[in-house]
Amino acid sequence: MAEREYLISPWIRIWHWTNAALILVLGTTGISLHFADPNLPFVEFSLAVRVHNIAGVTLAAAYAFFVIANIVTGNWWQFVPKPPGIVPRLVAQARWYAFGIFRGDPHPHSPTKDEHFNVLQALTYWSVMYLLMPLIILSGLIYLYPQFAPDKMFGFDGLLPIAMLHYLSAAAVLLFMLSHIYLGTTGKTVGAMFKMMFTGWHEH
Amino acid sequence: MRAFHNTVLRFAACIAMMLLASFVPAAALAQEKTSALMTPELLEKVRRANNECFACHSEEGVKKPPRADLDITKLRPLAHDPKVFNGSNHGLMECTQCHGQGYTEFPHAADARESISACEECHAAKVLRIEKQLDASVHATRVKDKFTCSTCHDPHVDLIASTLIDPRKIVAQDNQHCLDCHDSELEFAKFAPDDEQTSTKKKRPDIDKIHEWLPNTRVHWQAVRCVECHTPATKTLSHEIVNKEKAERQCLTCHSASSSLTTRLYRHLAKEEQERLGFANSVILASSYVLGATRHPWLDRLIVGAFAAMLLGLLIHGLARIVARIVRRKKNHG
Repeated sequence: MAEREYLISPWIRIWHWTNAALILVLGTTGISLHFADPNLPFVEFSLAVRVHNIAGVTLAAAYAFFVIANIVTGNWWQFVPKPPGIVPRLVAQARWYAFGIFRGDPHPHSPTKDEHFNVLQALTYWSVMYLLMPLIILSGLIYLYPQFAPDKMFGFDGLLPIAMLHYLSAAAVLLFMLSHIYLGTTGKTVGAMFKMMFTGWHEH
Repeated sequence: MRAFHNTVLRFAACIAMMLLASFVPAAALAQEKTSALMTPELLEKVRRANNECFACHSEEGVKKPPRADLDITKLRPLAHDPKVFNGSNHGLMECTQCHGQGYTEFPHAADARESISACEECHAAKVLRIEKQLDASVHATRVKDKFTCSTCHDPHVDLIASTLIDPRKIVAQDNQHCLDCHDSELEFAKFAPDDEQTSTKKKRPDIDKIHEWLPNTRVHWQAVRCVECHTPATKTLSHEIVNKEKAERQCLTCHSASSSLTTRLYRHLAKEEQERLGFANSVILASSYVLGATRHPWLDRLIVGAFAAMLLGLLIHGLARIVARIVRRKKNHG
């Protein structure tokens, strides 16, 4: 097996880091807005609103690009766990994170051109990109144009369920981001996978 | 002496009406002014007396004047909607309680206008409190001579917040007071002071333009009153209307857990706050979701807890990896 293998296309890398930067901006301004407190000034409120709105719309555009590019290039197939042995491979991956990694066991999955992701990655990334992201983007767009929100719901303002959905999906995305950054250090070296996302080359 | 007599009588009538009104349930007032103490006979008498005025002073009266000698051009701006008046704060009163003796006959007396009661004849305590605030307001300092209570408050239409109850209705009513002039070249010009530098009349600033800094401007205008920002924070709503230099620009005044909306627009509902479903400021949430103010403290704690658990978990995992690696290295070398 070659020492290095070119795996990640430029469009994926550009989209990935654009998405990452936008999520960092949206997370920072979003936290500042949700936990707005005169005693804990974080990002000035009206500035945070403007930055959040612009970054949000850009994220929606980036997501549309991601979906279309996935269809056109066939990259969507990478997110589908392939049989046989999905469950045993899933368990093996989880066991490696829980035990094997400390013992210095080899990584149970080695990325190839046809299978970038291990089963756990494929399932998580699919859920994040095709369940969480539509939720957060759609709720965010309705939040941006509240006239499309229901007028009333359960005796509360109709924007409440939209805002709650946005808040909870944002929390889930940020929790994913933390684990995603951490698990990014579990490559051949701590920085190997970060390097791969810049260069496109995977080191086996 | 007769004038004094009239004033005393009118004052006594006002006190009686205020006492009557204070017993009336607010919800009933919102539709049609009625009262447990207002007997049907008395109400019938008030309505009959007022209908004599509305025969001319209404849209119907303008369309089909009951008399041939009426000056329709003069009458048109003095027309009122009987239904709206009957449901207003003053809806239980006879027109002549404010529009004095000069108006009982037609043609009205030449000096009839002078016999219109001033608001303070009934609202003495309120006017005393408000007067100081009004004197400090931008309206009084720039155009005092042209400004009275009824410049903003239409006594034939308006309802107080505790009667309107629904904050959206309060906002619509109260903002219209401001927009009547500040969104109309014609009305603004009637009050506009001379510009200090050009000595021409001050031009009406475009309200959308001067509020451009405010995100979701139009959404704000449907949800809060102009006075939420354009009055200083006091225990009760101040009549000191301030200009853009002094107006509130700190978003967090409303958009935080200790939102000032609870002591302003939602003051009349504050006692009903029940933290419904655990939401803070849930009394606001019934009509508006206010980012930063209408949060759920327990859900916030749960989310912060999840982040803390995630960070702690990752930290422990990372440290364990480092320790495991050191141990492995030592073993390999040993």
